[in-house]
Amino acid sequence: MNRKKGDKGFESPRPTTHQVVCINNINFQRKSVVGYVELTIFPTVANLNRIKLNSKQCRIYRVRVNDLEAAFIYNDPTLEVCHHESKQRNLNYFSNAYAAAVSAVDPDAGNGELCIKVPSELWKHVDELKVLKVHINFSLDQPKGGLHFVVPNMEGSMAERGAHVFSCGYQNSTRFWFPCVDSYSELCTWKLEYTVDAAMVAVSNGDLVETVYTHDMRKKTFHYMLTIPTAASNISLAIGPFEILVDPYMHEVTHFCLPQLLPLLKHTTSYLHEVFEFYEEILTCRYPYSCFKTVFIDEAYVEVAAYASMSIFSTNLLHSAMIIDETPLTRRCLAQALAQQFFGCFISRMSWSDEWVLKGISGYIYGLWMKKTFGVNEYRHWIKQELDQIVAYELKTGGVLLHPIFGGGKEKDNPASHLHFSIKHPHTLSWEYYTMFQCKAHLVMRLIENRISMEFMLQVFNKLLSLASTASSQKFQSHMWSQMLVSTSGFLKSISNVSGKDIQPLIKQWVDQSGVVKFYGSFAFNRKRNVLELEIKQDYTSPGTQKYVGPLKVTVQELDGSFNHTLQIEENSLKHDIPCHSKSRSLEMFADSPLLWIRIDPDMSVLRKVEFEQSDFMWQYQLRYERDVVAQEEAILALEKFPTPASRLALTDILEQEQCFYRVRMLACFCLAKIANSMVSTWTGPPAMKSLFTRMFCCKTCPNIVKTNNFMNFQSYFLQKTMPVAMALLRDVHNLCPKEVLMFILDLIKYNDNRKNKFSDNYYRAELIDALANSVTPAVSVNNEVRTLDNLNPDVRLILEEITRFLNMEKLLPSYRHTITVSCLKAIRVLQKNGHVPSDPALFKSYAEYGHFIDVRIAALEAVVDYTKGTFFKYFDTFTTLACSFIWVSLSLFSRLVTVLFLKGYPYQSGQILQFFFCEQTGDSRLVIILPQISCFHFQGNGEFPLLFA
Amino acid sequence: MRTALYGSKMADTASGGSGTRSGSKHATTPADNYYLARRRTLQVVVSSLLTEAGFESAEKAAVETLTEMLQSYISEIGRSAKSYCEHTARTQPTLSDIVVTLVEMGFNVETLPAYAKRSQRMVITAPPVTNQPVTPKALTAGQNKPHPSHIPGHFPEFPDPHTYIKTPTYREPVSDYQVLREKAASQRRDVERALTRFMAKTGETQSLFKDDVSTFPLIAARPFTVPYLTALLPSELEMQQMEETDSSEQDDQTDTENLPLHMSTDDSGPEKENASVLQQNTSLSGSRNGEENVIDNPYLRPVKKPKIRRKK
Repeated sequence: MNRKKGDKGFESPRPTTHQVVCINNINFQRKSVVGYVELTIFPTVANLNRIKLNSKQCRIYRVRVNDLEAAFIYNDPTLEVCHHESKQRNLNYFSNAYAAAVSAVDPDAGNGELCIKVPSELWKHVDELKVLKVHINFSLDQPKGGLHFVVPNMEGSMAERGAHVFSCGYQNSTRFWFPCVDSYSELCTWKLEYTVDAAMVAVSNGDLVETVYTHDMRKKTFHYMLTIPTAASNISLAIGPFEILVDPYMHEVTHFCLPQLLPLLKHTTSYLHEVFEFYEEILTCRYPYSCFKTVFIDEAYVEVAAYASMSIFSTNLLHSAMIIDETPLTRRCLAQALAQQFFGCFISRMSWSDEWVLKGISGYIYGLWMKKTFGVNEYRHWIKQELDQIVAYELKTGGVLLHPIFGGGKEKDNPASHLHFSIKHPHTLSWEYYTMFQCKAHLVMRLIENRISMEFMLQVFNKLLSLASTASSQKFQSHMWSQMLVSTSGFLKSISNVSGKDIQPLIKQWVDQSGVVKFYGSFAFNRKRNVLELEIKQDYTSPGTQKYVGPLKVTVQELDGSFNHTLQIEENSLKHDIPCHSKSRSLEMFADSPLLWIRIDPDMSVLRKVEFEQSDFMWQYQLRYERDVVAQEEAILALEKFPTPASRLALTDILEQEQCFYRVRMLACFCLAKIANSMVSTWTGPPAMKSLFTRMFCCKTCPNIVKTNNFMNFQSYFLQKTMPVAMALLRDVHNLCPKEVLMFILDLIKYNDNRKNKFSDNYYRAELIDALANSVTPAVSVNNEVRTLDNLNPDVRLILEEITRFLNMEKLLPSYRHTITVSCLKAIRVLQKNGHVPSDPALFKSYAEYGHFIDVRIAALEAVVDYTKGTFFKYFDTFTTLACSFIWVSLSLFSRLVTVLFLKGYPYQSGQILQFFFCEQTGDSRLVIILPQISCFHFQGNGEFPLLFA
Repeated sequence: MRTALYGSKMADTASGGSGTRSGSKHATTPADNYYLARRRTLQVVVSSLLTEAGFESAEKAAVETLTEMLQSYISEIGRSAKSYCEHTARTQPTLSDIVVTLVEMGFNVETLPAYAKRSQRMVITAPPVTNQPVTPKALTAGQNKPHPSHIPGHFPEFPDPHTYIKTPTYREPVSDYQVLREKAASQRRDVERALTRFMAKTGETQSLFKDDVSTFPLIAARPFTVPYLTALLPSELEMQQMEETDSSEQDDQTDTENLPLHMSTDDSGPEKENASVLQQNTSLSGSRNGEENVIDNPYLRPVKKPKIRRKK
């Protein structure tokens, strides 16, 4: 890692200018691939007699350099991280060994798994720095990573079955499917050729130049050219019997989906052109590639994966016009993918420590799109959500460092020793850490925007893009191409050039240093002086925190209006006196103080957590009269601690206010339920929210019957979905769900009528089942009697009736994404856990099998995990079998499984899992990167790890 | 509910085919008398022709058959001649209509004058004059509407009002909305329960209670070969529903929607009226589409034939 960072070009011992990838045979039956690559290399140093390339799991047949046979060695140290006979079997040992193995093949350090000896005949040639052509024949059999085959088990040809294959992976994992320099910082131009069955389509990067039949006319070859210099890690491929849709608004954009899904594809992508227009407009820059392709495939690795001029999406993002809930989610995925086309694909990164700039910019412009599309309320809500997430993660696990600097490469200098894994390589990171890293990156970009203004920010992006696009048009490998790589220093320089502002303190605080700020605030009002005495304390000793010094905005809402104050947070000053403007005497009713509410850092311009104390009426004012949705949400959460009639009234008023942001109203529902439960002995009137729901959604003439569904107004749709779920959380003095509420929910289900609705009610019905599950309370058991039908609680019987009918109807008329099945499975588990139904995992196991829809499998698997609890290891075999078949389906699923397990804290089981990994080194780095995550859950703090195999 | 009272005129009043009722003894009505008299004349004609041909006697059945044939033949001439004359937009048949008819029926017209003037022909008496039967007047209901001023008088009159006036009928409305909803809900629930129970009985099931498999039978989970298809595609019921709701809303959409020239992509319609969150902006489609009429997209280009193999 001694590479010099900066705007100067950097030296690679084996810079590639052009690479040909040719895959001439793909066998779906055997899941194998045969092909060759040809790299054009310009040596930059004399005496280059060994060329190191990256290649994983490929079988290499033959290597020729300028048509001369060349000897080669293939060694992948990550295949066996720890030797089996090794005595040390703890996580730290493993973690270090794994980091060393990854380092040993790190392309950024000039390393690789494949070492080619340049034939001695060519040494002279190399000394003259003349071009080398390296030709490698390789094949791939049953790949475990990098390429994923989906081959449905049924009759018919591969095309009829909908069999397909696509590239995938975490970070730079192109080496899994062809030999290359698998780095984001080494760019070259590409020629890609794929010969596939005549009924299939091969989608890849760049322009499709031509498609030619083979001589027997049974296959065809797709020829792609990518003239924009691109990193190997941004190369991708998808082959399948895709249906093709040319975007009606932009003919250079083509969409692909699996057979039969074309109507959904049409609807889903009909919005994409608006995202294009938005980005092009704010960046004042055209989309850099001459074409764009979206491919929707099954068993996706991640929902969205962006590559040069194409994106691979999960097929489960497709939806019809009848689906409400999925629509914004899918559009967000499309917008994310497109943002990464500009920053991530077209502009790549200099090194791993510059990753935060790319993730930050793409996340930031995606945020701007969110603001424009969904409105400021949604945007602020999202920012608050992301902020809460990163704060919670850092406080729990330890800091997230955006720009790590590694001095000398010694492990001791690892700035993230608290994490039990190295943050030196993307492949040694935990998945969750990386997610949080991306979250923090875009939040920091927003902080920079706050400092230098959005206009300058966009100018900087435009500058980066226009430099890159000038560089990209250069014909041959030149130092110009490095303009297409972003580095932290280059980015900061660009900011200071454009804005003329010094943002170094900000960078130092949030980029070069990890941790968040934790504020505790309280205040007193001094009537005599008419001064607000604000005390702000910080906790900067706990892990994941840091000390904040600098300006902090405080907004004080007084009777006479809102006043902003900027306090200077310094080392030793805790108390801040803020003069008040209003005269308290003037209004008798507010005898105590003229202060209505106080907010610390209302603009979220610090990455912080604020715990602020103010009285209940102040929170109520804040909820009612502050227009910022973040303030409203904070007030709602605070009011949970004040179960009073006044809080009740404030929440009910918010619920009824149609102008109020719907998410705030939804949150108010749950708060109201909690308050009602705390006030149960003094509560008057019908159960909380019942009369409101009746007024809003039931017939005027017969209030017990809900109107026929009409979801045209999305705000009320979301409220209609949420209120029953919250109501079901109500409890009476016996801590049971009131009969009245249960009957009310059952009536909602009974009278639900969607015939006149143009939208599907599958999410609504699913939430009604969730509501039923929420109403369940523990069974009163006498002497641990066995649960049978005879002693079934009559209320539970009613609930079971509904669940049975819903679950069975799903087999006949399945709902979108099987939302109802998912809710039914969850509800059944709740009934089991509460002792109403015998606890038995058999049902869940059958739904967890391969062949069910992914959402159903996740729900079923979570139930199985929940079931296994303390007796986990007894079921270990079943479990690993289930998990194994999962690994390919989705990493997020697998890590969720691990999460569920480890949140419950089973040390012995974690050992079992580790043993599983030690034994089953599969070559897929995904398995390994989960390991540190396990440690985060269970071994954080002291770093102690029990000896395995005890 | 649109039940129009079209109708009773459909049943045609007795058509001219009543001549076949040859054997009827009880001629009572004037119409019957009329037809019988004609028939009798035809019989006489047939008999005289037979005599002319040299028969001395004939069985009744034979005479009847020949009569029947003759009557059919004459009727056909009449019907056909009428068609020809109406075809040329006349109401009265002319000689040429008859000639064409006969030619069409394969009759050699040129032999007719000679035959008419043959010597041995017999003359029979004209049939007795009977009154043409009066067609009974159709039932009139109400007053026919007079022509409006812009319609000339020679146009036919308006038909009876009952043939075109729409009178909506209402079933006794069920005033109680609650009862209706209740009925619909329980009906649906019964159907669903019966259906799922049937499915559960006829197939594999799973149960939540080991000791009882029949009270809450769950249809067994069966993995799919292609799980995403059932999960993503709308069910048939939803498709139907979508069509129904679409067609009802289409009217207010067609004028605002730009219909793209090449492809139908605008099934995004239903979201149109919705909150700005999901708003569609189709205004660009027109301009962008208008410029190029042929889409140049590499995936739409034809696959090339392989080049001829070079010598090796």
